[in-house]
Amino acid sequence: MLLLDYQNVLIESLLTERFSGYASATPVSIDQVVSDFDGVTFHLSTPESKSKILISINVKCFKELVQYGAQEVLEREYGPYIVSPEPGYDFSVQIDLENLPAEEEARNDLIMKLALLKRNAMAAPFERAFDEFNKLAEEASQYTSESAPQGIKEGGEVMAIHYREEEAIYIKANWDRVTVIFSTVFREETDRIFGKVFLQEFVDARRRVLTLQNAPQVLFRNDPPLELAGVPGLSTKEGEVSYVTFGMARNISTSISVLTRAVLFPRHLTAQRRYENISHIQTFRDYFHYHIKASKAYIHTRMRKRTADFLQVLNRARPENEERERKTASGRTFRVQG
Amino acid sequence: MSQSLRPYLHVRSSLTAALTISNFASQASERHNTPQVEARDSPELLLNPLHISRNENEKVFIEPSRNSVRVSIRIKQADEIEHILVHKFTRFLTQRAESFFILRRKPVEGFDISFLITNFHTEKMLTHKLIDFVIEFMEEVDKEISEMKLFLNARARFVAESFLTPFD
Repeated sequence: MLLLDYQNVLIESLLTERFSGYASATPVSIDQVVSDFDGVTFHLSTPESKSKILISINVKCFKELVQYGAQEVLEREYGPYIVSPEPGYDFSVQIDLENLPAEEEARNDLIMKLALLKRNAMAAPFERAFDEFNKLAEEASQYTSESAPQGIKEGGEVMAIHYREEEAIYIKANWDRVTVIFSTVFREETDRIFGKVFLQEFVDARRRVLTLQNAPQVLFRNDPPLELAGVPGLSTKEGEVSYVTFGMARNISTSISVLTRAVLFPRHLTAQRRYENISHIQTFRDYFHYHIKASKAYIHTRMRKRTADFLQVLNRARPENEERERKTASGRTFRVQG
Repeated sequence: MSQSLRPYLHVRSSLTAALTISNFASQASERHNTPQVEARDSPELLLNPLHISRNENEKVFIEPSRNSVRVSIRIKQADEIEHILVHKFTRFLTQRAESFFILRRKPVEGFDISFLITNFHTEKMLTHKLIDFVIEFMEEVDKEISEMKLFLNARARFVAESFLTPFD
């Protein structure tokens, strides 16, 4: 498992089980809380009757997401299933098992769609940025680079999603690119150094590998990048980070500029790939941290093995003249009289 | 083994010379046997300490005394990554000091790992094999650290490329 899945596997398997078993078996009640990355929680329950599954999601930054159009995106994706949100959660959909699509394929699509609830909720600002980019690119194409008005040159507003306690994603659309910036805090020195190694490889990958020429450009730095100049709340946040962690953690911002595909490819391709790219870039932080942890685990097992080897060498220094129990021919043993 | 490492490993002869130790009861504290190199209560029992350096980052420090020898090793750390790996590895070892008999729980200041060999160790174990262990440790630890570093870089590279490929 190298790349992370976009969907929530537990929701997927739960629903697959319910959907397929529904025709034959009697429905069973569910009451399950499912956690996902970035502190997202789901609640699957059957509050009214056993055939009606209510799926609720709680996202830390839901307010911000709504501001960037999450409600519209969710309505587009889950239109007929939306119900009013369960108390304590931000968004709810209800599936009636008696009203499932007839075809197998449509049912699987529905399962997948529900398992992607987190992805869809988070996708709104990305979609908005891509739309904005299209608009700005069109406007900019009417001007030469010298005469473009300031507004187009500078691009749209910076959208901030504070999806974790101290970490955020910033998205900004320009006329020639969309920039996605992740801010990450490393609590521990080891993580910070490992993270640096990994990020450096992200930066170099595009330069080194020919087939990655079209991949987004990745940059990282410890101070807020220029794109974030003038973002409210950032300077105070920075102060807080260094304050809370006593200068141990650094704020490494990874700015992933998703380079314009519209320039390189026909428009329809952009729209098609857009969906994939939004899903993929959302997994960046989790993917990155997952692999740091995996490397640490590997190095740990390696050290364990090496330590065992060293111990073996040291044990060679101990002479092997330990007293063995001696027996007579008839099998009787000697015992020292006390 | 590289050519420059070979003379460095002549630590063996110095160590053999230093390890001529025998039981010696303390003159200060009720004739208990305490490792003199640690207790340092009678200066006449301490011998001249010896530095053997390959370069400023790699050195061995041997402190002989009447009934104990302390060997401290500074492991090569060229950059941040090696530094953290050495730190992790030595910490890992010192946490298992119980089973390593001669390993000191805390390294001498300025070094990464220390061994304390007392007369009880040389009485129960074979001295030349103990020296073999120290030499082998010095040889292997550098290799291990650089292999871990290479692994980390290789993994990072692979991971970065795999993440960026779907964008293409």
